[in-house]
Amino acid sequence: MSDRKEFSLNKNMISTAVYPIFFGLFILLLWETEALHKIIDADTFTLPVPSRIIGIIAENLPSILKNTKATVQVAVGGLVLGSLLGYLLAMIATAFPKWGKGGLTIVSAFNAVPVIAIAPIMTNLTKDFSRDPNLRSMLAKTLVVMLLCTVSMSINAFRGFNELKPFSEDLMKSIAAKPASVFFKLRVPNSVPYIFTALRVSVPGSVIFAMVSEYFAEYIIGVGRQIRENIVLAQYATAWAYIAAAFVIGVTMYIILLIFENILLRGRR
Amino acid sequence: MQHNSETEIKILGLCVDFPDKNSGDIIHALTNIDLEIKEGEFVSLVGPSGCGKTTLLRAIADLQEPTSGIISVKGMRPHEVRIRQKYGFVFQSPVLYDWRTVRRNICMPMEVMGIPKKERSKRIDETLEMVGLTDFGKKYPHQLSGGMQQRVGIARALAYEPEILLMDEPFSALDEFTKEKLHLDLLNIWKKTNKTILFVTHNIQEAVFLSDRIVVLSPHPGRVSAVVDVDIPRPRGLESRDGDDFNHMVSKVRHSFEGV
Repeated sequence: MSDRKEFSLNKNMISTAVYPIFFGLFILLLWETEALHKIIDADTFTLPVPSRIIGIIAENLPSILKNTKATVQVAVGGLVLGSLLGYLLAMIATAFPKWGKGGLTIVSAFNAVPVIAIAPIMTNLTKDFSRDPNLRSMLAKTLVVMLLCTVSMSINAFRGFNELKPFSEDLMKSIAAKPASVFFKLRVPNSVPYIFTALRVSVPGSVIFAMVSEYFAEYIIGVGRQIRENIVLAQYATAWAYIAAAFVIGVTMYIILLIFENILLRGRR
Repeated sequence: MQHNSETEIKILGLCVDFPDKNSGDIIHALTNIDLEIKEGEFVSLVGPSGCGKTTLLRAIADLQEPTSGIISVKGMRPHEVRIRQKYGFVFQSPVLYDWRTVRRNICMPMEVMGIPKKERSKRIDETLEMVGLTDFGKKYPHQLSGGMQQRVGIARALAYEPEILLMDEPFSALDEFTKEKLHLDLLNIWKKTNKTILFVTHNIQEAVFLSDRIVVLSPHPGRVSAVVDVDIPRPRGLESRDGDDFNHMVSKVRHSFEGV
């Protein structure tokens, strides 16, 4: 019985981990041997081979780390603040369902506004915030990420508070539970999987939103901005080094999310 | 039927109407219900769907507002009884919280009621034993079969020691074998705890096997068409189902339906 379980787990591991890793290594091999360049008709100037990109990363490590730190600060800061605000909005909407549901529909309309429209607006709105352009820009970028994470969290958390299993509210009523008990013993735990639904969108989104808003920021810093700056200067190898950094940021944050999800949703089906 | 004959639940002229979800017409779910239930009695409400049996149970539990009429439980209104946490309600589905283990599910109402921790743990042990799930306390609901989940639902309703157990088709989703086992367990629990039990079902055999009395309800409009005393001797075992008394009682109940 346990043998069979182990076997099926291994089989699962092969399809979800081993195959993709081999595929990735295969592409890297094609790339390094420049076979890939022939297939997609590229040259090593615009698409440098991996070993050269790694070399560039090593050479520019301090400045890559500095820019990575700036991007991570914006992404994580906006993600945390936005998610907390979104959860709070969902709570308020649940407490006042008459206004709340309509209110959240309006909030969700922000989802339709593209980042490239919001980012310049935020830069403009925060121009008097501080004399330090770096600080001004950080605020503008964090607000962009925050706004978009707020939307995704508020909609999902509201569903988590309200999409309850049949009779679970009746059960609470039958034992004369007070609204606070219903909220903390039923609605909040029920919302946990929905929080992760929101974060699965917000976490990768926060990195992308942070990088896009860097384009429109006053102060030149961040992985996304460096990709652009280096492409403008035709320093493709350096641009690729920053693309690699962006990739590492996104994947790392997503893995951290999956670990949290695994711990917090343990036992649930 | 050795229970003392004090009236526990008294219903007089109860009517419940509500608008149809689709057409908006008024549906008379219950009309002019008169009923008395004694302390410690096991009474089943039996009838086809639409006869208002669940509505009657919910009205007693204060989960459904009556249109007119009087319900008196221990001389109080259902709302007062509910606020005093004297009802144990077992639903059609187990309604377990999937983020809590079996023990913590049984614990939940006691947490809400502020029962001390030590007492909670003692009562969880007792009720787990009563429903035969002593070894499953640490499991999560999805690791249990449907029958076991429903047992947890019953244990949860017993643990905070309510005085009246209201059961709304608790076994309707289970297979025959599991159901028979749970019938015997329920009768044992009833004998041990001396609770008044109101049991809603559409299964006549089930009602005859379990009850002291059966209230037969007929639909359109929902009304009591008969109250049948079940005089099959207790304690009842699976063999009680094979006797002529049993079959006679089943057909008696079946013939009391009107307009079905």
